[in-house]
Amino acid sequence: MLRSCAHLNVRGCGTLSGSHRKRIRLTVVVWTIIHLAGCTGMPMARSPVASKVPLTVSRALGHLDSTRDASLRLVIAGLDEDAAGYPSRALASYQRAVRVDSTNPFAFLALARHHLDGASLDEAGAFLDQARALFENSRGLSDVFDTFGIGLRAGIARERGWEDEAASSFGLARISSPEIWLDEWLSPRELR
Amino acid sequence: MARASKKTGRNRRKEPDGEPAADAPSPSLLRARRVGLVVVLLAFGAGLWMASWLLELDRQVVSRFEGRRFSVPSRVYAAPLVIYPGVDWQRLDLGGWLARMGYREQREAGPLIVGHFRWLPGRLRVHLRGFEHPQLPEPNRKVEFRLEQGRVSEISDDRGEALSVVALEPEPISAFYGSNREQRDLIEIETVPEHLVAAIYSIEDRRFEEHHGIDPRRIVGALLANLRAGGIREGGSTLTQQFVKNFFLTPERTLQRKLTEALMALIVEARYAKPQILEAYLNEIYMGRRGSTAIHGVGEAARFFFGKRVADLALEESALLAAVIQSPNRVSPHRHPERAKRRRNLVLDLMEAQGRISSRQSARARAREISLASIALESGQDRYFLDELARQLPEVYDAELLSVEGLRIYSTLDTMVQHAAIRALSDGLEELEARLGPPATTAPGEAPARLQGCLLAMRPQTGEILAMVGGRDYATSQWNRCTMARRQVGSVFKPIVYAAALSPQSGPLLTLASQIADEPLSIETDQGIWEPMNYDKKFRGKVLVRDALQRSLNVPAARIAQLVGIGKVIEMARRLGIESPLPPVPSLALGTAEVSPLEIVTAYATFANGGLRPSPRSFIGLLDDRGVGQEHWPLAGARRVLDPGTAYLTTSLLEGVVDRGTAAGIRARGLRGPIAAKTGTTNNEYDLWFVGFTPEIAAVVWIGYDAPQPIGLPSSRAALPIWADFLSEVTGDHVRGAFTRPANIESVEIDPRSGARALSDCPARRVEFFLAGTAPETTCPRGSGRRRGFFQRLFGN
Repeated sequence: MLRSCAHLNVRGCGTLSGSHRKRIRLTVVVWTIIHLAGCTGMPMARSPVASKVPLTVSRALGHLDSTRDASLRLVIAGLDEDAAGYPSRALASYQRAVRVDSTNPFAFLALARHHLDGASLDEAGAFLDQARALFENSRGLSDVFDTFGIGLRAGIARERGWEDEAASSFGLARISSPEIWLDEWLSPRELR
Repeated sequence: MARASKKTGRNRRKEPDGEPAADAPSPSLLRARRVGLVVVLLAFGAGLWMASWLLELDRQVVSRFEGRRFSVPSRVYAAPLVIYPGVDWQRLDLGGWLARMGYREQREAGPLIVGHFRWLPGRLRVHLRGFEHPQLPEPNRKVEFRLEQGRVSEISDDRGEALSVVALEPEPISAFYGSNREQRDLIEIETVPEHLVAAIYSIEDRRFEEHHGIDPRRIVGALLANLRAGGIREGGSTLTQQFVKNFFLTPERTLQRKLTEALMALIVEARYAKPQILEAYLNEIYMGRRGSTAIHGVGEAARFFFGKRVADLALEESALLAAVIQSPNRVSPHRHPERAKRRRNLVLDLMEAQGRISSRQSARARAREISLASIALESGQDRYFLDELARQLPEVYDAELLSVEGLRIYSTLDTMVQHAAIRALSDGLEELEARLGPPATTAPGEAPARLQGCLLAMRPQTGEILAMVGGRDYATSQWNRCTMARRQVGSVFKPIVYAAALSPQSGPLLTLASQIADEPLSIETDQGIWEPMNYDKKFRGKVLVRDALQRSLNVPAARIAQLVGIGKVIEMARRLGIESPLPPVPSLALGTAEVSPLEIVTAYATFANGGLRPSPRSFIGLLDDRGVGQEHWPLAGARRVLDPGTAYLTTSLLEGVVDRGTAAGIRARGLRGPIAAKTGTTNNEYDLWFVGFTPEIAAVVWIGYDAPQPIGLPSSRAALPIWADFLSEVTGDHVRGAFTRPANIESVEIDPRSGARALSDCPARRVEFFLAGTAPETTCPRGSGRRRGFFQRLFGN
């Protein structure tokens, strides 16, 4: 890098002090690592800005253990079935996911979403409570509930006719994750 | 007419003067006429009687044949076993599952047959049978499990594509039998392989397709054979007659029964087509016994003998089924394999001789050894669960209906967990009885009372009952001690008292670092002064809340209940799911109320689930006998009854009981990871309890005599080991997961003597948990913060 400096008509080029050189070298290395890591999706490279990309079910794979992964895959299968219009098969997949790992918060989140779509509001609320309790415990996942849960809670409020609560919660959800909650609906694909 | 009159003389009239006409008949003729008339009348009457009998037989045939032909007990299935990469296949007992489900090892080369498996180095290949399920039915499919170091490392299908999860066929655990304890699996004629039909025709009724219910040639042949033998050696019954005999008639050997059988056989043949009759026969025929249960029909027999569906039978298996029909007990392949093999080969010979199979097919089938599935007898202990299941089923499914409708009921029972529960309770009680000897109250010459017990396990997030063993032996006592018995709970009630005091709804009145006086206490009650005592009759002065529960001290618990108010304690118990009567007396705090193990485990599951109370459930769904969904109970969400912070603090207290308190035996037995539990021993050691949970399972053990009498041991030495053995078998020695720590809980270092906030120079410190804003503000007392030297810190004071 410094050798190529000679071709540039930059004042002071070639006369950099050792500490300057080191600083530039360090900056370049850090920049390159961050850039490369960003391109390859390395988790360590996620800056606070990058973390705005929501942690979906698929992205949660590989974070805990094989039991959690098996359960997450069943949730993914269920979300695919929900998206394809097979709600009863989707429900069965979520229930099986809970059976494999009853502490998987995504399974309960998916159940809450599923029941909200089916207008089973009591069930949706209960599963959302369960998801929240489990997310709070999961290291690194505590803000996932905010991404999805606030909007789902707003959806339940709207279905119940509690418009004020729905509007304020959707407002919060849109601030937290505008790309998801602009249309005030969480699709299976968005959670997937 | 005149000619007729002349011939018979019927129209001859008397002369007007009343004298007989000159050609009047002689007396003998008159007598003959009268006899003739009687004969005609008798013949007419007999004809009428015969006709009405035939009509009655016809009515019987039609009403039974066209109504519900068979009473099929409703079968209950466990939850499907789910296998995925990373799972410990040995702990899940995959090998045991294969055996119990009747899968057989296929050693010979060639494509893997359905219902068979093959062990290869580091791999297990299974041709899984498909199954119906109210949630997710599965087709037949070939699967390969790669096994490494006791775990499944990879799963793939027969195209080599990786599978992330495989659900295995749910195990049948039992059935709702009627009074005659018959089991059958109804088949449809289209699903029966041709070689099974051919085998049965060959040995039982070779002209079935030709005759009309009875086969005169066969009857004559049998008569001659029996005459030659000098006794009854051969029967002349057709399949239709056999069916009629078993289906409509009693087994008595009288001429009238034989005649009825023949007539009914003719009626059946006249009314119904051959395939219908054959299907009815194949579903009705008696095929042997499994324990006290009679096996009827080839469908159930195929499952019982070979662990497969009738459609999947091989030729030699069909021949064996046909061989068994004549005398299921005498030719039982389980008890008399050589005899069974000889008769199977006879069937194969006959099939070949009658041109139903080729000589090559016959030779190949004869060369095969009899290979039977080792289906285990159902455990009587599962029936406690069944009783509870029947109670939870919708009311329309009463006992009568369950024993005849052939429903398929899918339950929440986890067979691995249930087997662990049965083993742990049975072994534990045996060991205790061996150690303790007969109870002291046993009168001379009287059989000693047997120690009883219950073990119940539940999934905290869903309330699914994973295991339930309601007693020692269902055959001798059907009293379900998990759900029906209400016994004094002792100290396992104390966490409910503590939760009431820790809850923000009560202030909170306490934190885990609050000091409670363990000093003499007198409370005035309607019955007089009540003075609670600790188990060791000692008082310890001021103790911290955590230490009080860890040591299960009675006086501080009674004091806390007084502080909160018994009404609030009862309210907390109700919220946690305890429905039994709770007397509003001070001693309630020490567990004097009588509560069922199911209620107690629900309360503890609520702590495990962060304050969300699950509804206990044992039933997932129900299919009718054609596999059509009738009922479906989707997973229900748990209900918030306790704030997450209080649930966490109570859980943390109970973790302390396991780590340092009366349940420390759990750790001594090598169990690691998040475990919270409480011991409970009632006065005079009448009832011993142990209730505990991990993030994924909550379980209770109760031990006692049905007629209460002292056991002679505390809970920590009797109920705890059973609980620990059970958990160790279910989860392994390292329990997975962590307890929920909600956002409104903060951790602060305290001085473990005073409960005050610890500064950096406090001599002893430990982390304690508090609801946000409730941590102590006072710091450890002045002077206690004196710096200790290196050796003091190393070796203590």
